[in-house]
Amino acid sequence: MKRVFIKYKEHMYILKALIILVIITGISHIFKFYLDIINIALIHIIPVVVVAIHGNIKATLFMTFLSVLCLNFLYIPPLYSFNVNNELYLWSFLIFGIVGLIITMQAKNLIRQTKQNQLRESLLHIISHDLRTPLSTIHGSINLILSNKNLNTKKQDSLLEDINYASLRMKRLITNLLDSTRLSNENFDLKLEWCDFEDIIGVTLNEFSQKQNDEKLNIKIDELSLFWGDNTLLAQLIVNLLDNAFKYSKSDTKIDLEIENLNNFIKIKIFNETEFIDKKKLKNIFDKFYRFEDTNDISGSGIGLAICKSIVKLHNGEIKAIAKDRGILIEVELPIVKRVNIE
Amino acid sequence: MKNLIQIIEDDKSVKKLLEITFKEFDFDFISSENKKNALTMFLSHNPDLLIVDLGLPDGDGKDFIKQIREISKIPIIVLTARHDEKEIILALDAGADDYITKPFSVNELLARIRANLRRSSNTVDINNTFICDELKLDINSRDIFLNTDKLKLTPIEYELLKYFILHPNKTLTHKQILQEVWGTGYQNEMQYLRTYVNTLRKKIEKNSTRPKYIITEPSVGYRFNCN
Repeated sequence: MKRVFIKYKEHMYILKALIILVIITGISHIFKFYLDIINIALIHIIPVVVVAIHGNIKATLFMTFLSVLCLNFLYIPPLYSFNVNNELYLWSFLIFGIVGLIITMQAKNLIRQTKQNQLRESLLHIISHDLRTPLSTIHGSINLILSNKNLNTKKQDSLLEDINYASLRMKRLITNLLDSTRLSNENFDLKLEWCDFEDIIGVTLNEFSQKQNDEKLNIKIDELSLFWGDNTLLAQLIVNLLDNAFKYSKSDTKIDLEIENLNNFIKIKIFNETEFIDKKKLKNIFDKFYRFEDTNDISGSGIGLAICKSIVKLHNGEIKAIAKDRGILIEVELPIVKRVNIE
Repeated sequence: MKNLIQIIEDDKSVKKLLEITFKEFDFDFISSENKKNALTMFLSHNPDLLIVDLGLPDGDGKDFIKQIREISKIPIIVLTARHDEKEIILALDAGADDYITKPFSVNELLARIRANLRRSSNTVDINNTFICDELKLDINSRDIFLNTDKLKLTPIEYELLKYFILHPNKTLTHKQILQEVWGTGYQNEMQYLRTYVNTLRKKIEKNSTRPKYIITEPSVGYRFNCN
């Protein structure tokens, strides 16, 4: 019901234009002995313009057709018929269409630009917020070390560890930003090659500190043969999934990373315990720049998971988030399209 | 005697960071900002190791590497910005031994420098045996031992591990390894390399997702770690 209403609301402008057309026709009809044919024609272009500024070609053409029909039937001789005596009028009708189309094109451009601006704005917001958070850690820690020459080694080490982690986060965000523009390019080509998931996990783990790996992570990998995919992107996928799990996981709980070999596809599962999450929101978490409102203090952009979705889609796979046992389970299924043949 | 490192880097702040680091860690150094001065300097000072930035104001660092390779076996470490793996591979294939990407950690750079210096000073061998941490390669008997256990290796696994042990602490491109171990015509057969690295790791590493010996250099190749 709500859907129908929204759809109806979206196309309200057509109804408005129709009402305007009726009113205009009515007014012109009343004053038709005082008005020249040219005035009447010009008035009839108004509903076309009203529809055209919404940037929908079909709606514009439909309105042009109606408007021309009214004009022809009521005012162009022979009156009250759809015939036309003078061919010149046909040209005028064509001009109705051309005006409508030009305005529609302009409107379309404008709408696209507005959408791009919105995207750019949220991107800027993310960059400023997510770069600022680690940057303030770095800045603060360095100032503390510089102004307290006699900090004990243990404290100093812990501050340095913070700086290290913060700079890794910044590096990852920059990679993600670059990837996000690269992946949203329609002509993006995968660099397909034989991938070893164990190798990829090894590379991925280097992106995190030793402490995170050893204390928090449980890894289980089935016996796998090589997988045909984009090595760099698959590594980026696992980095982002793990990064997300580390960020939102409750302290003192473990994160499980599992790779299963199911005959026709590979299944990657990442589970972390977390505070209560809204099940309804789960399906949105892979949308660009979405994040849970109540976790705003945890730095992270939402870009990460959106990129995961793009990477999985490019491999013709599926990604979903499931609420399970006081936590969140992210499942990725990647179809096996090619098997390695080594004699 | 102190080792002499020659730096070729046009970015002033990176150059300064390198110079301060080397002063602090007891290396001698000479530096220049372009290729032309670098070559004259190289010929007159005879350094022990080169650090080369790939993008130089008077041309490509790769050409400089090729030029040096014609006259010397000196270890060359390439310094480069992220996201240009193709350039890295070209530089390694042109004769560079190792690479490090900006932003780099000073510790990692020092580790690479020490490893490369060690390798170049220790090429002489007497009994045809090579030791790398817990691994021991005996070329005469074609055996490789992990601690005291003889490893059960297939012929290709043996050739691959031998190639790694003979080229330690150096970034080896996929192409180089495939060509040297499998032979010409196999340069692009990545599935062989991936498969055999995977099985080798299971035989020599304690934890194959946290390898200690065969380290992956994403998109570039592998390096074999030896302390």
